[in-house]
Amino acid sequence: MRFLKIIPTPVVLLVLWMGALAPMQAAQPDPASQPRTAPPAAQNEYVPLSELPPDEQLPAVPLVFIAYGLIWLAVLVYVITIWRRQSAVAKELEILKRQLRS
Amino acid sequence: MLARAFPILVTVAIACFGAAPFLIGAAPYESTMGLVQKIFYFHAPSGMTMFAGACVAGCASAAYLFTGKASADRIAAAAVELTVLFGAIVLMTGPLWGRKAWGVWWQWDARLTSSLLLWMMFVACLLVRKYGGPGSAKLAAAVALFGMANVPFVYISVNVWRTVHPKTTVVPSLGAGMRGPFWFCAATFLLLFLVLLAVRVRLAEQQSELETLSLELADRPAT
Repeated sequence: MRFLKIIPTPVVLLVLWMGALAPMQAAQPDPASQPRTAPPAAQNEYVPLSELPPDEQLPAVPLVFIAYGLIWLAVLVYVITIWRRQSAVAKELEILKRQLRS
Repeated sequence: MLARAFPILVTVAIACFGAAPFLIGAAPYESTMGLVQKIFYFHAPSGMTMFAGACVAGCASAAYLFTGKASADRIAAAAVELTVLFGAIVLMTGPLWGRKAWGVWWQWDARLTSSLLLWMMFVACLLVRKYGGPGSAKLAAAVALFGMANVPFVYISVNVWRTVHPKTTVVPSLGAGMRGPFWFCAATFLLLFLVLLAVRVRLAEQQSELETLSLELADRPAT
């Protein structure tokens, strides 16, 4: 049994773990022998959007409104930030000019 | 010249932006996607404007790197900000359209991923400018230059790789009823870009003037 001492412990553990897994693997049923059930039509062939059942159809109106709303909001927020930055700079410029004149 | 034309440009841009939804509403429905395809009229022009912004930022950055002109740096800073804005619009509206048309919000394909990377490069550029400290303008200019180099790859990605995104041939093949509103929206977005660029450059000029005056005041002998 002295030869076992030269084998690193992780290797021994790995071999033991694989040995424990082997019966579990053998107990699993062979997928080829399983009876095959056909997938639903929507998974293996093209189904036009208009023919989908109502609960699977996504309404377009909210998406379009959200998209346009986001665009207007993004532009508006940017314009507001520029306007705020510009008024802050203008105010500081005015103060500095006054200080330089005095 | 630009100062005199600016109020006219602003008025035209606002009028166009207001009129665009009516033209889009009157445009015919696309046969397979229906109503959701109408996002295209703002999504694609935003993409075109993002590319325009990236090119302006890249060219101005190159001018700043090679000539050292402060005016070129100001244009680059403004264009980078606008590229991030229009890129955000593209990245927000695309998934809303994709969810309905493709059934997924996002797909890690060539066009979508490269667009996200382009946008992130310009976000990085903004962050470098804001937090990079002294000398960050040159570093940001280099990043913007690489961002511009990315634009052709993003554009042709749909033709080179297999993606879920429509190809570049979609725009030339648009029907007569859709072509007019699309190009109107494209012109509106480019006009809006020019107006915002002019305003943002003016802000950068004022900030630069403020810095000069602050230094002048600091250099004055105490009385």
